[in-house]
Amino acid sequence: MAIETLVLGAGQEVGKSCVVVNINGKRIMFDCGMHMGYTDHRRFPDFSLISPSGNFNDALSCIIITHFHLDHVGALVYFTEVCGYRGPVYMTYPTKALSPLMLEDFRKMVDRRGEEEQFTSEHIAECMKKVIAVDLKQTVQVDEDLQIRAYYAGHVIGAAMFYVKVGDAEMVYTGDYNMTPDRHLGAAQIDRLRLDLLITESTYATTIRDSKYAREREFLKAVHKCVSGGGKVLIPTFALGRAQELCILLDDYWERMNLKVPIYFSSGLTIQANMYYKMLISWTSQKIKDTYSTHSAFDFKNVHKFDKSIIDAPGPCVLFATPGMIRGGLSLEVFKHWAPSEKNLVTLPGYCVVGTVGHKLTSGKPTKIDTDPDTQIDVRCQIHQLAFSPHTDSKGIMDLVKFLSPKHVMLVHGEKPKMASLKERIHSELGIPCYTPANNETVSIPSTHYVNAEASDTFIRNCLNPNFTFQKCNSVDTCNSTLIDRNLTPELQVEDERVVDGVLVMENNKKAKIVQRDELLLMLDEKKHEV
Amino acid sequence: MDDTPQLQSNSEQPLTLHTLSSIRSLLINPSTPKPTLSSILQTLTRSSQLTHHTLNLLTDLAIHHPSFSQLALDSLLTATESPTRLAVDSLASISELSFPDSFELDDGRFVSLCFGPSIPGRIWMLKNAGYLFKVRPALLFTVLLGFTKDPYPYVRAASLEGLVGLSERGDFNDVSMVKGCYQRALQLLTDMEDCVRISAVRVVASWGLMLSASNADMKAYWCNEVFAKLCSMVRDMSMKVRVEAFNGLAKMEIVSKDFLLQSLSKRVLRNEKQMEAMDQSTSEQFVTLATSVAGALVHGLEEEFFEVRKSACQSLHTLTILSVEFAREALDLLMDMLNDDSVVVRLQALETMHHMAINGCLKLQEKHLHMFLGALVDNCREVRCAERKILKIVKLNDLAMFKSSIDRLMENLDSYLQDEADVFSAFSHLGRNHKKFVGYIVKETFEEVEAAFEGNDEFKSARIAALLIISISAPLFNEYLGVIPPVLFSYAVTLLDRIYYAFSDIMDKDALLAYLCEKSRPPSYSAPNISHGEGEQQLPLIEGDTPNCASNGVIDSEVGSQIMKEQKELPSYQVEQHQSEYSEVTKFVNFILAKCPDMWQTIETGLTNEVLRSLRCLKEELSTMKFDSLGSHDALAFALLYIRIIILLVEVWEHLLPAKGSRSHGMGELEFKLGKLDRRIKELMSTFVGFSAEEELNMLELILVTYALRLCKLETICVNLTFKRLTSIYSCVESVLKERSVLPSNFVVELGKLLHECSLQFDRCLKLFSLKKFVFHGTVKHLKAELSISNNDSLHPFPFVSGLPVSIPCKIKLHNIISNCKLWLRISLDDGLVQYVFLDLDNFIGTGDVKIFDFVAPFYRTPKSNSLTLKVCISLECLFENVSPIQRYGGPKYELVPLCKEKQVYYFNVNKD
Repeated sequence: MAIETLVLGAGQEVGKSCVVVNINGKRIMFDCGMHMGYTDHRRFPDFSLISPSGNFNDALSCIIITHFHLDHVGALVYFTEVCGYRGPVYMTYPTKALSPLMLEDFRKMVDRRGEEEQFTSEHIAECMKKVIAVDLKQTVQVDEDLQIRAYYAGHVIGAAMFYVKVGDAEMVYTGDYNMTPDRHLGAAQIDRLRLDLLITESTYATTIRDSKYAREREFLKAVHKCVSGGGKVLIPTFALGRAQELCILLDDYWERMNLKVPIYFSSGLTIQANMYYKMLISWTSQKIKDTYSTHSAFDFKNVHKFDKSIIDAPGPCVLFATPGMIRGGLSLEVFKHWAPSEKNLVTLPGYCVVGTVGHKLTSGKPTKIDTDPDTQIDVRCQIHQLAFSPHTDSKGIMDLVKFLSPKHVMLVHGEKPKMASLKERIHSELGIPCYTPANNETVSIPSTHYVNAEASDTFIRNCLNPNFTFQKCNSVDTCNSTLIDRNLTPELQVEDERVVDGVLVMENNKKAKIVQRDELLLMLDEKKHEV
Repeated sequence: MDDTPQLQSNSEQPLTLHTLSSIRSLLINPSTPKPTLSSILQTLTRSSQLTHHTLNLLTDLAIHHPSFSQLALDSLLTATESPTRLAVDSLASISELSFPDSFELDDGRFVSLCFGPSIPGRIWMLKNAGYLFKVRPALLFTVLLGFTKDPYPYVRAASLEGLVGLSERGDFNDVSMVKGCYQRALQLLTDMEDCVRISAVRVVASWGLMLSASNADMKAYWCNEVFAKLCSMVRDMSMKVRVEAFNGLAKMEIVSKDFLLQSLSKRVLRNEKQMEAMDQSTSEQFVTLATSVAGALVHGLEEEFFEVRKSACQSLHTLTILSVEFAREALDLLMDMLNDDSVVVRLQALETMHHMAINGCLKLQEKHLHMFLGALVDNCREVRCAERKILKIVKLNDLAMFKSSIDRLMENLDSYLQDEADVFSAFSHLGRNHKKFVGYIVKETFEEVEAAFEGNDEFKSARIAALLIISISAPLFNEYLGVIPPVLFSYAVTLLDRIYYAFSDIMDKDALLAYLCEKSRPPSYSAPNISHGEGEQQLPLIEGDTPNCASNGVIDSEVGSQIMKEQKELPSYQVEQHQSEYSEVTKFVNFILAKCPDMWQTIETGLTNEVLRSLRCLKEELSTMKFDSLGSHDALAFALLYIRIIILLVEVWEHLLPAKGSRSHGMGELEFKLGKLDRRIKELMSTFVGFSAEEELNMLELILVTYALRLCKLETICVNLTFKRLTSIYSCVESVLKERSVLPSNFVVELGKLLHECSLQFDRCLKLFSLKKFVFHGTVKHLKAELSISNNDSLHPFPFVSGLPVSIPCKIKLHNIISNCKLWLRISLDDGLVQYVFLDLDNFIGTGDVKIFDFVAPFYRTPKSNSLTLKVCISLECLFENVSPIQRYGGPKYELVPLCKEKQVYYFNVNKD
């Protein structure tokens, strides 16, 4: 038996996450995202590879969406409504609640740009009707053989890792996750499982981040310095997640330092998102859950509603503007206004997709940026790169892999050279085979298969009684230590023989059976067996 | 006792719950006769009857009837013979009975119980047998280690727990045994079940340490190894495992510096230079283990769960001692923890810093100060207190840091007045520990302090007191510091009561006073005057030839150590304080009162101003004193009022003296002062009770003087009335004198003559007046009242309709009011209209000294205006004067003395036209 993994997106790149796994005869699609860097056919995964005939309903058992970011959910509506997939779609409750907002926001943006529309609002609504919401650690029996279970992943609200079990084969697809808690979300949390395969994101495959406290301090210092010098701070961000994270941080700081500079949220989307956060409190970090009864962390005291007129109004302010990475929309518009002044500050995340203004700003120090063929912007403002990221760093990935100790690891959602380096580490440090397939490649790995065997009564009875022995054996310490007598010390080892005593017997035309050692002798007297 | 025969007859049947409960009631009754008990025992011990319930009953029997305990124990023991669940239960029952020497479990029984088929029983045995019974350690070890292979996770966890217990008691000479156990626990660190991993971490920590202790040469190696293994567990997904890992780290005894530093960095350190510094074996070990150590403490400190963060802070407690370099780097991280949202974590971080300071590894830098001193204005009292605890012992490296510490402490004082005592104490320690910086502070602030004292400010701010404390604490230890002006010490004397607590760790109040006097030397408060009671201790300081306080035994013991004596815990201090406080206060009050007669003599010599100044100083000192117990409060209130009266008396007396050209007081002022004096004396007479005859005479005499002064100096229309009053008081004095057969003073005798002659030559008797020494016996109680009106202020007035009565919802609390008092609620309007409401004492709830009452008082004559402000006050009728000038219908017959401050009640008109 094997687990076959077809990577349709996010193979050696970031964007349009989509992995189809064939596990013990079940085909599951993990994530169905779009690539934000392209507007042509490369935007969506190549679904034809799943089923050349286009009969997706028979080809797939289910779709699992890990979280609501567009590079994980963006192609779902297209796939269900345009390509015609009718099977079940699973996601967590917050993802189900927030995905339509993200998709609708995207659709509007496409509309504004005058591009060809891939799906309509009705499509989004129809698609969401097909979604089955799941809760954390709730085991869902998709069909007779297929079990799935969601684990907390941090990253954004509602993000989950998914555990899948078909027969004896087990695997986990992480989606995006964060191993350190932030101001509003907890760290990823999963049980120890016996996995055949772990598919993990690797956005920061080589980065190791220092304590977040230092980063928070630096960010606050930069912002405080800018506003006290009368400058304006632009924080381009996704409406959900980072906006809340940074806003909690700033609001606390404003409170403590008694600052009166206004903080604005750019769009109704963010305000609506805050409302969702208030409802989804059980998905936030321990601290917010603990203090919720007395004070909701999402009731910001210093945040005001945004009005376009403030863009050119004098005086300092802080603005959270969508979309992130200065992809377009308001954040680009405001950037055009504010970039020429050296008093102002733009904070950008550590990672920006290639092709966005954010990426141009963070790679090198450009003085001029062309946003479109006709426009060129002078960039004189300060750029603060904010290493706050809801993604785990390479140490976090290693820690998770070490904790789960799966038989195989597959890396997706990362850049090729970095992935290669991490792959090498996983292989050398943890001794686990690791794969980094490119898009549209298929990887096949062997899966576990347990043999069902009957157990003889004697064996069962024997198993109920402890039966351990101690052995003194020389340690098989291969370490070339300079310490002389370490290798010679006999080590005390303990063995419990009750399971060892069992012998697997495979009789012709009969089911496998486990018998106790003593029984076997009796049986051997009578017949000839294969052992 | 009807149950007994029934028990016997039905003995073959299983006992019903009803029977069992009646047996139980018999058992716990101490007077149940012995025959009944023994038949119960028989019934219970029939083997067919043995159940969980009967075990409990046997335990009850053993507990409540010592004479049967051996029998009960025997039958419980019989129950343990077969390896069943019940046998384990009965062992559990045995363990509950406390026998003088612990019960010995023989090998066979122990093994058979552990290997019995009952899994819960096995778990219980593994967990508890080692703790509760004497089992041969070798056997226990074998069994426990064997069961770490059990397929049941809870059995594995229980055997690991048993091993942890064993490590605490056992002393194992066989290293291979220890190592085997340690290795087994290492394997279980990757167990599938959380509960097993938690216990495995504990075993790794405890047996790992035992392993490292077993071989001195290998100790460093094993310690590093254990450290690394524990660090590798801080990324476990179970919060409890992580907490346990940090608890384990807190037990480490030695760890190589590189391992420690690695635990602060998530990146693996591969610094060549560092590698050279290590010996070869350590560096090899480091290379293999570095990845598991990397960033362990950082992860712990940035955890989601406060339990883990707290445990991580706690582990730094011991780890910071191991390496100076590590301590310095860890401090950077620890400082950020002061920003934590959980109080528990903040406190633990401070606690760790305190511990670091004690061990001399708290190296504060400029960059830390903002965060570090920020804790002084934390909104949690414990955090502020913990922060000051560190400040008391920390060594600050430069003046700038010292100054910002002082500034932030002042801020602390400003925003949290309740911290005053402890903040002062912190100032005193800061001063003592940083002598060289104090000079600069004194230079900068001397003028401010001087201005506060030389000026006529009634109130010396806490800031001034704090500055004084720093100044006077610097030269405490036998070092001459010329920069502290002596006058500061004399200023400090006037604030003695407010500041002495700051020095209570090294000297008591008397010693401090002696020290201050010694340092200041001005004669105004010379030492012999204040030796009240146990003065021996201070005498050598003042009179002996030793130049300063360092000779004092109490202080001496402290000089050698940089670390100050841990401050007495506040609660215990308070208890002590309450006990000694009252006598202390009485002593103090008497000390002050005793000064008055001497001063009176000074007045006769014309030095009125000097006397007034001294008196005002005394008044000030009294008014700043605060004590918790009620008795002390009464004594202080009395003394304060008395001093005020004396001040007024002195001021009035000035007019009797031959006029000095420079001073001319108008008649108006005299009249005003006499009026005030009159009121104050009435207040003294009415609001204090429990005077002794002597004290009462003293006071009556003061009243007589006041009236005499009035008659002598003011030719007013109400001579008649005053005369009448004087006569009535005089008759009071006479009756008291008769009762007590005390000789009257010259003044009273002369006054008597004058009254007899109906003469108005009061100068004659006044000349004979002299202030008598007032000895305070501590029986005086202060009558007072507290009035509060909730939910009303000028911004939130009550509604009213003009012409209709309004209600005033009063909450009244009375202290020491006795039943023959007549209390009135005096309600006045701005235009002079006054209304009295009688307060019936029967309505008050509460016994003893404090009574409370919620009372709604009506006010009838509301005016026609938009708003209305009523002044409400609880007043007491002066019954001691039986001359009554006031005749109001329905109102009080005598003059009223206010018992509380006037309270304003605001109303607004609801139907404004």
